[in-house]
Amino acid sequence: MRYDAVDRILSKEQQIIPSAGFIMAVMGAVRGERAVPPPIPFPWRRALPGALAAILALVALSIAGTRLFTDPASTQQISWPVLSTLTLILGPRHAVGASWIATSLIGSFIAVRLSMCFARREA
Amino acid sequence: MNAAEDEAAVERVLAGDSSAFENIVRRWQGPLVNLAYRFCRDRSRAEDMAQEAFLRAYRSLHGWHREAAFSTWLFALATNVYRSEIRRIPVRTLSLDEIAEPRDDRASDGVFEYGDRDRALRRAVVALPPKYRDVLILFYFHNMDVSSTARSLALPEGTVKARLSRGRDILRKKLSQRAGPLWIEEEA
Repeated sequence: MRYDAVDRILSKEQQIIPSAGFIMAVMGAVRGERAVPPPIPFPWRRALPGALAAILALVALSIAGTRLFTDPASTQQISWPVLSTLTLILGPRHAVGASWIATSLIGSFIAVRLSMCFARREA
Repeated sequence: MNAAEDEAAVERVLAGDSSAFENIVRRWQGPLVNLAYRFCRDRSRAEDMAQEAFLRAYRSLHGWHREAAFSTWLFALATNVYRSEIRRIPVRTLSLDEIAEPRDDRASDGVFEYGDRDRALRRAVVALPPKYRDVLILFYFHNMDVSSTARSLALPEGTVKARLSRGRDILRKKLSQRAGPLWIEEEA
């Protein structure tokens, strides 16, 4: 390998000696790190049923949505209890749009209530 | 302290004795501060960067799987910390074209004084594009050992050699324009 002025200068760098308090400072930071409680692990056992239910709901909604787009008349045949009740309450004419909105609102409400309930129990 | 003692200290830290980490800091503080200094050219900042590297090492000790020496793992981790830190707050450098003119009449013939020249060259390394800068810094830090450099940067040795060659060419070219005949190449 050719050894030139660049090599000669850069290889003879003056060594820096760390300051006297460096080890203390690092160990102080390490102790501080230890004092911090470990992060709370994600509650997979609790979240899993909810996540599965959400996935199932999403799949069911996608299927219903697809049906709605392909054949709007088929929404009349959806026999889910919530949708049927909503259809009865809101009347057959506007039930399609309103029922979806109502379903999502109820779903959100339940999700918020449940998460608040779990959080209160954790505290 | 040797590699076996490093390993023993790591075992103790992992078993919950954080005071054993002091042995690791004591042994590696010099190399880590010096490596940081080569990246930032600021003593105080180098210590801050080295402290961050030690803290990161403490947090990630369980990630050292003993396939490589502890020093290799530590240097690779520190190099990553320093590169991120320099990316986050770049070092204030002069461009290669702005590097200092000779300071007195003796050097007014267009040739750098030796001290100025050496300082200018070291600062010029910091001003290089990161891919050349990192390779040059690590190569000279590891006493011109290509394989250690490659391990610290997680790069193939061929890539290290190519970047080394290109980086040195950039330095020679830029600085010889200003420093003139001092850049006479010698054979080892």
